[in-house]
Amino acid sequence: MSKRATTNRRAYLKGLGVSLALPLFDSLGWADTKAKPPVRLGFMYMPHGVIMDQFWPATAESFRSAPPPALESLRPVLDQCLMMKGISGVPISPFNGAPHALELSTWLTATLPAADKRNEINIAISADQIAANHVGAFTALPSLELATMAQTWKENQEGLNEGYYSHCSFRSPTQAVPAEVNPRNVLDRLFSRQQPAGGARAASPLSGLDRSLLDIVLGGARDLRRTLPVSDQRKLDEYLDSVRSVERRIAAIEVRQKDAALEKAGVRASQRNASDSPPIEIRIPEGDKRSEYMQVMCDLNVLAFQTDTTRVSTYIGSTPNGASYPELGFNDQHHSNTHHNQDPEKVRKIARITEFNIAQFAYMVKKMAGLREAGGTLLDNCIMMWGSGLEDGNQHTRENLPFIIAGQGGGSLKSGRFYAATKGNQGDLLTTLLACAGIPIDRPVGIATKQFEEIKA
Amino acid sequence: MDGAVRISLAFSLVLGLVPGRALAADHGALKADAEEFFRGRVTPFVTNYCLPCHQNRRPTRAGVNFSPALKDPGHAAFTEQWKRGAARVKAHDMPPKNAPQPDEADRQMFGDWLAKLKYLSHQDPGPFVLRRLTKTEYGNTLHDLFGVEPSIADGLPDEVSGAGYLNSLSSLQLEQYLTIAEQVLRRMPPAVQRRLFGTPDPRQFARSLARKAYRRPPSEAELDVLMATFDLGKRNHLPYPQALRLMVKAILVSPQFLFITPAGENKSSNGIVPLDDYQLASRLSYLLWATMPDDELMALADRSTLHEPAVLKAQAKRLLDDRRSRALFDGFGAQWLSVGGLKRQVFDPKLFPQMTAPMRQAMYDEVRLFFESIVREDQSVIRFVDSDYTYLNETLATIYGLQQSVKGPAMRRVRLSDGHRGGVLGMPGVLAATSFPNRTSPVKRGVWVLEQVLGDHVPAAPPDVPALDKQDPAAVAKLTLRQRTELHRTNPVCANCHQILDPIGFGLEKFDAIGRWRERDSNGQPIDATGELPGGHRFSGPQDLKAILATRSSNVGRNLLERLLAYALGRKLEGYDEIVVDDLMEQLAADGYRMRPLIYGVVTSYPFTHRRVEEKGAIREQTRNN
Repeated sequence: MSKRATTNRRAYLKGLGVSLALPLFDSLGWADTKAKPPVRLGFMYMPHGVIMDQFWPATAESFRSAPPPALESLRPVLDQCLMMKGISGVPISPFNGAPHALELSTWLTATLPAADKRNEINIAISADQIAANHVGAFTALPSLELATMAQTWKENQEGLNEGYYSHCSFRSPTQAVPAEVNPRNVLDRLFSRQQPAGGARAASPLSGLDRSLLDIVLGGARDLRRTLPVSDQRKLDEYLDSVRSVERRIAAIEVRQKDAALEKAGVRASQRNASDSPPIEIRIPEGDKRSEYMQVMCDLNVLAFQTDTTRVSTYIGSTPNGASYPELGFNDQHHSNTHHNQDPEKVRKIARITEFNIAQFAYMVKKMAGLREAGGTLLDNCIMMWGSGLEDGNQHTRENLPFIIAGQGGGSLKSGRFYAATKGNQGDLLTTLLACAGIPIDRPVGIATKQFEEIKA
Repeated sequence: MDGAVRISLAFSLVLGLVPGRALAADHGALKADAEEFFRGRVTPFVTNYCLPCHQNRRPTRAGVNFSPALKDPGHAAFTEQWKRGAARVKAHDMPPKNAPQPDEADRQMFGDWLAKLKYLSHQDPGPFVLRRLTKTEYGNTLHDLFGVEPSIADGLPDEVSGAGYLNSLSSLQLEQYLTIAEQVLRRMPPAVQRRLFGTPDPRQFARSLARKAYRRPPSEAELDVLMATFDLGKRNHLPYPQALRLMVKAILVSPQFLFITPAGENKSSNGIVPLDDYQLASRLSYLLWATMPDDELMALADRSTLHEPAVLKAQAKRLLDDRRSRALFDGFGAQWLSVGGLKRQVFDPKLFPQMTAPMRQAMYDEVRLFFESIVREDQSVIRFVDSDYTYLNETLATIYGLQQSVKGPAMRRVRLSDGHRGGVLGMPGVLAATSFPNRTSPVKRGVWVLEQVLGDHVPAAPPDVPALDKQDPAAVAKLTLRQRTELHRTNPVCANCHQILDPIGFGLEKFDAIGRWRERDSNGQPIDATGELPGGHRFSGPQDLKAILATRSSNVGRNLLERLLAYALGRKLEGYDEIVVDDLMEQLAADGYRMRPLIYGVVTSYPFTHRRVEEKGAIREQTRNN
């Protein structure tokens, strides 16, 4: 794509009355642009920690040659992974009785909830949403939130709001972002395609008329806002923010449709570079096998990144209330095995569950590694973090949180290494990853005090 | 936190040692006593031991400042601070070692103070924020407005209702609202379409639909907004009915539809105001029906009489008598009795092939019909624990061993002769919900009884539980579940809680993981369901346990009242709520904790009918980058 085309498209968007940076769509490749492909940032979660001696590599040297059992599935791409041991979680005092309410909610915030407002959601914007604030405007979706379990767990630890149990992504300190659990819905969203149930007619309900409609509704909402008390005004701000976000999304869809129409009319030749891989296919599984469910969500994440529909994702592989894994030959729930007290049978089960989860992550990053993009692979341009908010589910420790980071971040990360004696916390790590993704950091994430310069290329 | 405090509470609940709750008439005296105590004992303590570091002077240590709390100790904002302070002092964390130390009596006093704190709280309905309709409410409301199936909302994310409701709105949800609005227009039955779009005057159309959809009369300015969308349609050359449809879409994504908003601007800029009658109509209707107020409620709001206690109570009665009140079980009862997750709960299919979808449905329906019968027949809350009937169909009757007498798929009321059954403790749905996929969990069942029935709080197990038996795993493997679980009690850390939990759980051990009666466990060992609660209450099996619990009517009643009030308010209880509950408990005790007065008490209560308005004025609209 030439520089001029870029300018024209931006001008076109301005003409729509929406200030919007350049969206790049699946019909477009990266190879023939001057610009480097964007860095995409993804986070995938498993609760309850790992069996430490089966997770951490023995030495920096043996990391790739003799990886520990938990990492077996990643072996083909270990040269593109990095691990750091010695990253501590947020100290959870005064919420010592709430390890599970905090493992997920502190994971991307590196912050504790406000103690005097524990009833409500009051924490901090999460790293993924910080990134979305900076790069979200470039894509049809500012960010993508995926999960495999409904976020409805009712358990109250230390008086903390239930939402802390099942959310990792926070749009603002007071707003948890819900995740999508239905792969069909995600697919429809990525392609802005809604099938009316029972009907074959595919309609795109998000039209230019909708955008004008939302503009009018937005005006009415602002009038309402002026009549409300302060606390209600804040609540309405979430609404206004959501409306604006949908408006931008509609504008982006219109551009996409216009491009497609131009191409079809032969006005413009396809911009897709022949060397880039075509968008992957999505097959929604029929049964209820957990691996297939997790993998289709992985596929959707890959597709969203590949087509630059979004550049930021979170994927809650499961929530702390406990998935079960009948595929592994046992039905009991994840959490009930984590307090294993070294019982070999339970230890074995937790190790299997960890391997299983990492294998799903491996499935995703290996797929990315197989997709050509701009002379390299999609994975080259991603930073995919897998991890857990506890180190050891048995003792609830958080001294060496398990993290695996795959991808080179567009050449910003030194991969293929194990940093065996890191000193720092999860805020430091998140801040470093944001910096590598090119996100301007105006303040550190949560408890961060520094960045890990050693992992930067 | 301080496990010891809560554990001693557990003891006292089970033993019935909680001192009698104060009567309303005593409040004046109790308040005076609390003020006296505060001046005479607490103020000097805080001044001597806390203020040196934690006062109005920068920097305050650890961000803790006792100066404002001393000025207004009963303010809800400081409740948590008092609690945490007392816990730190009790644990000898505070004052720090190098500072002057209070004696033990003074430390004790600072903890006892918490019990008096509530009498200093101000009459306050608690925090109140505009509430978004839940997924269920949203679907039902669309059904009532447009005759579409409530399942039209199925694609929205599932959410927690009641206390803990997140009440937030993301772009994902808004986009779905827009999409669903489109589907509503497409799926509306023809009769509804004719009725709706037959209006020749667009402003009249907007006024009448918005009144229903906003659940209050729209302002002229709000109608102007809707007319602007109609004009947008005309500018885009849409025919008249299509332009009206555009207006419907605008209504369905407006905050006035998605949230319950006040009618008109509040006159007072600050302080506490009664809910307007339209908001009250919505609050009542969404609580008992999970849908929008009907014509009768709206008419009473028009006449501004709904807030009168007698009218409100009569309306609550009318709503409860209607079939739509099953929403109270689906939203509240199922959560309270833990059967909401039965459909998705995992059971080992080899061990429990009986757990089919129809079986799970029957288990859920049994609990639902039982709950509804207690509400309908205005029975005492104690019937939840101890009763002699239930609801079965043939599928579920196999669990009870009554398949000879109960035939067919329809659920019906069945009189029970077996004293172990009857009441939620003997219901398969509850027993299954508190089991593991492959076996019972006496600990989970014990916790369930303490928390869900008696309203106690059981602290989570400490993470650093030492291994049960390091010496001889083989010997442990041979023990029965009961013997193994009893090892808990050989460790003093565990014993505190487990000596209460375990006996209750084992009292129910003759019910297997899906609620079938059994004499032997899965290893063929005979089951010992005898036990003794601290204080010498001996029992043998569920029937005795039920009888013991049935004597705890004030605990059961208070628990249910607190849970229902929190659900109705959509928040956890705090501060002044405790006084509200005390007062209601006094009224309920007088006639045996019957269910209807309990519900009427909640819907006419001060926090349900009032709201606190934070200072008004312009805060800048928060905008974000993307």
